[in-house]
Amino acid sequence: MQRRAKEQKTPQPIGDSVTRVEAREKVVGSALFTDDLQFGAGLLYARIKRSSVPHALIKSVDTSKARALPGVKAVVTGADFTGYIGLYLTDRPIFCRDRVRYIGDPVAGVAAVSEAIAEEAVGLIEVEYEPLPVVFDPEFGVTPEAVVLHPDLGKYDVANFIFPKPGTNIANHFRIRKGDVQSAWAECAAVVERKYRIPHIQHVPLESHVSIARVDNDGKIKLWSSSQSPFAQRNLIAKSLGVSQSDVQVIAPYVGGGFGGKAGVTIEAMVVAIAMKVKGRCVKLRLTREEEFYAASVRQGLVAYFKMGCDKNGKLLAMDNKYFWDGGAYCEYGVNITRASGYSSSGPYEVPNVNADSYCVYTNHPVGGPMRGFGMPEMHSGLEQCIDELAHAIGLDPVEFRKINCVKTDSILVTGMKMHPTGLTESLVKTAEAIGWGKKEPASAPNKRRGKGIALMWKAPAMPPNAGSSANVSLNEDGTVNVSVGGQEIGQGSFTIAAQMAAAALGVPFDWVRVNSPLNTDTSPYEWQTVASRLTWSMGNAVTAAARDARQQILAMVAKAWDEKIEDLDIIDGKVISYKSEESISLKDIVIYGIPLPNNQGWVGGPVLGRGSFMPTYVTGLDPKTGQGPRAVVHYTTGAQAVEVEVDMDTGKVEVLKGVAAFDVGKAINPEMVNAQMEGGFVQGLSTALFESLRFKDGLVLNPSFVDYRIATSSDVPRDFQSIIVEVAQDDGPWGARGIGEHAMVPTIPAIANAIYDAIGIRVGSPPYTSESVYLAMLDAGLVE
Amino acid sequence: MSIDAHPELPEFDYIRPGTVMEASRFLAEHPGEARPLLGGTDIFVRLRDGFYHEKYLVDVKKLDNTGVISFDPLQGLTLGAGVSMNRVIASPEVRSNYPLLAEACRTVASYQLRTRATVVGNICNASPAGDTIGACLVMGSGLNVHGVSGYRRVELASFFLGPGKTVLQPGDIVTSIHIPVQPKGAAGTYIKLGRNTWSDLSIVGVTAYGVPDPALASGYRVRMALASVAPVPLLVPSVEEFLAANPITPDSLRQAARLAQAACHPIDDVRGSARYRKAMVRNLAEKALLTTWQRLQALAGSA
Amino acid sequence: MANHRIILTINGETEQVEVPSQMTLLQMLREKLAFTGTKNGCMAGECGACTVLMDGEPVNSCMVLAVECHGSTIITVEGLAKDGVLHPVQQTIIEHGGVQCGFCTPGMLISARALLDRNADPSEEDIREALVGNLCRCTGYIRIIDSVRDAAERQQVLSL
Repeated sequence: MQRRAKEQKTPQPIGDSVTRVEAREKVVGSALFTDDLQFGAGLLYARIKRSSVPHALIKSVDTSKARALPGVKAVVTGADFTGYIGLYLTDRPIFCRDRVRYIGDPVAGVAAVSEAIAEEAVGLIEVEYEPLPVVFDPEFGVTPEAVVLHPDLGKYDVANFIFPKPGTNIANHFRIRKGDVQSAWAECAAVVERKYRIPHIQHVPLESHVSIARVDNDGKIKLWSSSQSPFAQRNLIAKSLGVSQSDVQVIAPYVGGGFGGKAGVTIEAMVVAIAMKVKGRCVKLRLTREEEFYAASVRQGLVAYFKMGCDKNGKLLAMDNKYFWDGGAYCEYGVNITRASGYSSSGPYEVPNVNADSYCVYTNHPVGGPMRGFGMPEMHSGLEQCIDELAHAIGLDPVEFRKINCVKTDSILVTGMKMHPTGLTESLVKTAEAIGWGKKEPASAPNKRRGKGIALMWKAPAMPPNAGSSANVSLNEDGTVNVSVGGQEIGQGSFTIAAQMAAAALGVPFDWVRVNSPLNTDTSPYEWQTVASRLTWSMGNAVTAAARDARQQILAMVAKAWDEKIEDLDIIDGKVISYKSEESISLKDIVIYGIPLPNNQGWVGGPVLGRGSFMPTYVTGLDPKTGQGPRAVVHYTTGAQAVEVEVDMDTGKVEVLKGVAAFDVGKAINPEMVNAQMEGGFVQGLSTALFESLRFKDGLVLNPSFVDYRIATSSDVPRDFQSIIVEVAQDDGPWGARGIGEHAMVPTIPAIANAIYDAIGIRVGSPPYTSESVYLAMLDAGLVE
Repeated sequence: MSIDAHPELPEFDYIRPGTVMEASRFLAEHPGEARPLLGGTDIFVRLRDGFYHEKYLVDVKKLDNTGVISFDPLQGLTLGAGVSMNRVIASPEVRSNYPLLAEACRTVASYQLRTRATVVGNICNASPAGDTIGACLVMGSGLNVHGVSGYRRVELASFFLGPGKTVLQPGDIVTSIHIPVQPKGAAGTYIKLGRNTWSDLSIVGVTAYGVPDPALASGYRVRMALASVAPVPLLVPSVEEFLAANPITPDSLRQAARLAQAACHPIDDVRGSARYRKAMVRNLAEKALLTTWQRLQALAGSA
Repeated sequence: MANHRIILTINGETEQVEVPSQMTLLQMLREKLAFTGTKNGCMAGECGACTVLMDGEPVNSCMVLAVECHGSTIITVEGLAKDGVLHPVQQTIIEHGGVQCGFCTPGMLISARALLDRNADPSEEDIREALVGNLCRCTGYIRIIDSVRDAAERQQVLSL
């Protein structure tokens, strides 16, 4: 019998584009999302009274009329809860206590027998406000003139890698001081200095936020939620209420789109707090689409200043970048975006001298939370345009300029970390080739102009240095396998690749493997959060370890029963085989009942349960003054995108004709799913480039609906899109894999902006590049009249 | 939609009268509290937003031929109020005789919304952005209105008073729209500029429509209507006058487009700025007129 | 404000329901009859997640009152497959990788099925137009468009 090579590189189904495990459920309508769960006639509904002013002291809250409305079962306010919530900084009360900080800030909650009655009750709650001065701009927010939004900053618990400035609106300040930037300018042959204002956007998941909570008479809390982070929610809610994590159970069914908006705690603490007043009753809270746009979380706005210079050969010498993040009313999660953009502030380039100051600033805007890319799309939007401009200034082709400067294996990064093996150059070269870089296609009509643009990106998983994953693998009587994880299926395919990895590591056919769903913090193994594009790598390591553990248990059992060496045994296609004796035995039954010894002499083995966990242990701290340290992050995923656009000179409309993306994913566990992330991310990026912004007036979101917050439709996507998988193995990734989920949307805005420049010779400025902004830019430049 | 939009529709009573007179009487007896219901696609949104507060919705979709499309070669087209936009688009009578109306309907929202949305509803909603209104205006439409005193005809050109405001009184129901027979060789186009390629409300909408008219110096009567650049859907008489008196050439069409630009005073709103809209009226009017001219010539050539 | 008693057919079964005037078809499906396959994405007729077939035509069920459905025939995503056999649009969307989070999928499938019912040989432009009222935030649409074209071809083969 052919011995399977010990170091088999890619056992099936690794590298196979197997069908998504939950696809059938989703197409027949039986996949359950949180609002689909049935709770019976006793279900109560919650609605939230929200602040109508951007910044004010709360003088009084009168809930008497609301309480008196028939059908109302509970009304709660900030007076009922003293606990604060926060992932990296506990700056957020569950309901506002003494003041409100943004239009939408929760002031009170109502539970009633119907949503309509709860809504009516909310309308009967009277709040008296004493308006305070406002902060709507992060650059203003850091000045002494700006009122301090969080006077208690300094008293909040804070992670030891976040540096708030008490007495100011700076929730975090991350610094890079590398080399000698001041002297370096003198050596530069060309310098580009630009300011970019990146607007707030929102995640726009098709499923808006929904949670149900029940607090039993003994105080145990049960929460069902559309959630990327059941364990983080359990932890943060337990801490804010002062209870044990073991008394909080979070159940998380399929998520109808997260993109970061369902990470951390958003509405969950409120509905638990309300449920505490109606013990034994289930209370459901769901956001309207309008609330989704402003009252869950949004992507922070950014005011960015870039200054970068290169020598006469196009080698980058210095960068000085300042990022003022509009963090919103509460920055408990957003502070880490500041840090992540700080330690990645150079973009994917080797630059010997870098100053960076990244500020997370409190403002009276909606809460800036994690959104796909975690600061990278916002940062790259301006940075990659400056790179193009610098290339032009020095007379180099933008692709050549990037080839010279992009990070390569062993490059010294902005934090001093050494770059691990990366396929960024390969991604760049393949992308440029696929888009036909250097070839100018004729425009399709006399009133159109055609152009091409390219952009690079990088991103590391942004998380605490000790974010961990764990997994279980159990087997059933018929040999099928159940994988238990804490990582959530939000559409990215995590359940499928978990099944693939378990099948490969154990040695069973792919369709023998099930992934347990929904997630349940009582029974699922721990996972930090489903964010940061970390699951394929981190959860994947845990699943693989658990499957290997199960495999070892099975082989040990059979080795003992057969009196053979484990090294001579293997599991292939669900059978244990011996290379020595050529015996084989099916996994069926033995994985539960063990193996009987001959002559009724007893048994060997028993129920097989594999366990595995993974936590990176090598991330080091960074010097707070310089941002330097040996290992800032676990790894970077890098990649490139290019587009070909046409600009309509009569309307300013930008049409994306063709897109190309190449990302180094280390190893594509499921190539078609990787391609699907590249496509979907590209279109989401395109949507943010051409259509999306939250429009504010005095803190009020003017376009909180699909009517006036436009996203890409089926009519807006290019016919021609090519995704290219680059594989330079990640040393500690399962089969070399690393993540792709966020990265696919990071470079799209600058790629399109650079293409617009190629088409019409104008930098339109800040996104979105709507027809109007492009046309008016052409008008102002005298290109049209 | 505003940030305070409610999670559900507010409470109201759905009334389905048996005759159009019953409907008019009910509406007249409950002024300000009752509204006629066709497709509902505008009304439901405004109810949930707290913009409308009606206690009664009176379903008039199936009264007195409101569900019928009828065409007579001498009388013209009578389009019942309850006829969905998708039916209009698919109707052979409309496609052959009023293709501009089908073209305009097709730009509205999405297929599934057009299963419910109606042309009469679009008109009665009286939004300056209404996509089908321009086509109806340039073809000289009239509305058949039933009130407590019975039927009367209202010319569409005098129907609109302001954004969301029409000449309709309590008790009035528009039961159908009548579009007269169009001269042979007529042609037009509707150009809609939205933020997305399709779907979306118009930032600017331009309807251009020409009919051969040997009595005029140019040989053509060319009419133009504009959407989203005025408080009401706007006919532009100066364009019609200019192109009646002057030979039609790319140059005169360009000048006519500038007249259209001068005739409108758009505002800044969340969808677009006045500056952009002004420029787009000119650019799209020119495009619409050129396309119309090409189509007119093609029809004349094949006559 | 009285309730209305309506009788209608949903996925081939006759149902009798009491509904208040202001209840939408979407609410009735999800909350009175537990047809939770159809989703609520916006309650404003914009996103298409609530799309169902009503008398053979796709509608945003959030924009139709339940009371207006008396006597109607409704098909939801749960009614697309027959005896466990997936409709071609369901089969191809899986094969082309056009399902990610799955929330837009039910409405998308209804719109796709309705397109093929009225146009057995749609062009790519026809498909884009038919789906423009179904928003998707995950997939980027390209695979979905391809899957509908593929389903059209398979249906033509099946009907030979």
